[in-house]
Amino acid sequence: MSSPINKKTLKHLAELARIELKPEEEEKLLCDLSRILDYFRELQGLDTSAVEPMTGGTTLKNVFREDDERENTNREAGVEAFPETKDGFLKVPPVFG
Amino acid sequence: MTALKDLTIKSFHDGLLAKHFSALEITQAFFKHIKASDGKIGAYLTLNEEGAVKVAEVVDIAMAKDEPQGVLAGVPLAIKDNILVKGQRATAGSKILENYTASYDSGIVKKLKAEQTIFLGKTNLDEFAMGSSTENSAFKLTRNPHDQERVPGGSSGGSAAAVVAHLCVAALGSDTGGSIRQPAAFCGVVGLKPTYGAVSRSGLIAMASSLDQIGPITKTVEDAAILFKAIAGRDPLDATSSPVEYDDKLLSPDLQKVKQLTVGLPEEYFIGGIDQKVRNGVDTAIEKIKSLGLKFKKISLPHTKYALSCYYIIMPAEVSANLARFDGIRYSQISNLKSKTSNLKDVYFKQRGLGFGPEPKRRIILGAFVLSSGYYDAYYDKAQRVRSLIKQDFDSAFKEVDVILTPVTPTPAFKIGEKTSDPLSMYLSDIFTIPVNLAGLPAISIPVKKYHYPNPAKELPIGFQIIGKHFREGDLLGLGQYYDKLS
Repeated sequence: MSSPINKKTLKHLAELARIELKPEEEEKLLCDLSRILDYFRELQGLDTSAVEPMTGGTTLKNVFREDDERENTNREAGVEAFPETKDGFLKVPPVFG
Repeated sequence: MTALKDLTIKSFHDGLLAKHFSALEITQAFFKHIKASDGKIGAYLTLNEEGAVKVAEVVDIAMAKDEPQGVLAGVPLAIKDNILVKGQRATAGSKILENYTASYDSGIVKKLKAEQTIFLGKTNLDEFAMGSSTENSAFKLTRNPHDQERVPGGSSGGSAAAVVAHLCVAALGSDTGGSIRQPAAFCGVVGLKPTYGAVSRSGLIAMASSLDQIGPITKTVEDAAILFKAIAGRDPLDATSSPVEYDDKLLSPDLQKVKQLTVGLPEEYFIGGIDQKVRNGVDTAIEKIKSLGLKFKKISLPHTKYALSCYYIIMPAEVSANLARFDGIRYSQISNLKSKTSNLKDVYFKQRGLGFGPEPKRRIILGAFVLSSGYYDAYYDKAQRVRSLIKQDFDSAFKEVDVILTPVTPTPAFKIGEKTSDPLSMYLSDIFTIPVNLAGLPAISIPVKKYHYPNPAKELPIGFQIIGKHFREGDLLGLGQYYDKLS
């Protein structure tokens, strides 16, 4: 059974997902995903033309807060977990290079 | 001295007020018991002894002054490790968050802290809540206390095991496709998945944002009602949380109103392939509920069989977006990789490659695929339409019935390692729980009968599920509390 996910597609997806896969992981993924996608074939025969796609879990709309000033009471949140900081900013390796 | 096994939220509160024990005594007794017994079970990832003792002391000082105590004051809870408690480690069961210390409190944790609830520690889970057995945890195995060769279920396996083994009075878990209800059924305890939006998701490490909910795992339905009421409510930090309010009737249901509920039995949930023990168990529950005087009606939810495909397209798509933030920089870092990485992209590839286990990788890749150009319409858009159909099935059924009764799982707890080599067979264990999340409905898993722990006969618990209309947890908890009285 030919799977829509071949080795080339898998490499592309791994690139998009920024995940380094080992060769044995690639093998297993190709096999697992092929079986899973095969299972999904049952949806193709179902007539869904009469419904709209759902967009999430809630029917709430336009949930806004008041456009008031708020004080930040947890400024250090997150910054403490940064591996390297400079002046409160996160220091990272070069983006290019 | 009160035995820990006899404690429920209700009996703890009564005992505390009657001064049979102090909050500190019970807290310390739990830690002693955890240290003695959790080595075999593996429910906890992190313990919070210092913090717990501090809160216990505060409660006891207030008790000594005869100040009024809320029902949750001093109650020792276990919290699933994907729910943030500020200052405590939160790993989501993953190496990529191994050293992350939560930088803020979840919305529900803020509420519970205001009640002086005690957090004993964080419990084990499948990595990023992905799994149905807790075998996907990057850190340890959790064993089903009823039979240690078997899984406790997942992904909230640690929480369910902690409740049944008396390693806490009650616990919190999260449910995206059954992760509260299925472990509750496997462990013989009560598990409630609230209506989508009933409980804030702020501080819950997100898996699938349109499906996730936090909910209680408890020994009794009454405890589930108490804990649910305490955590439910709109949170400005969760735009999907609902302004619906719940009243005290949740805790003292009217039997006359419960008797008027009509129970639907959907034919698609009572198919061949269900284990005979589950069948017998659910039939027993149906007979008991009939004895309360409730009417039953056969109904159909015709698109049920498509729910698994629908879920395993939509959920991974949302996962691929939600897990993009774990870059091995912001929250926690896997050490000793600096020499192998020369630029930012390298860091992402290596940290995520090493930090994520096989199941998150599988789902992220699958999610990226179904959202990708050329495949979006055939998979993701299609699944969202199927989701509408599944929701419509329930909307139609709820015109004829008030609640729907089904099995929770096709089998009782399976053996450790039994389903780990085939992801699809693991996914199939959630067929009865998944449709509920797709439709955003509330559902509760209740054990068919009370299962005692320790359980020398190793009798495996069976659970049954009651599904309700949106925001009608009152119907589930009302019927459940009367069922509890019968057992």
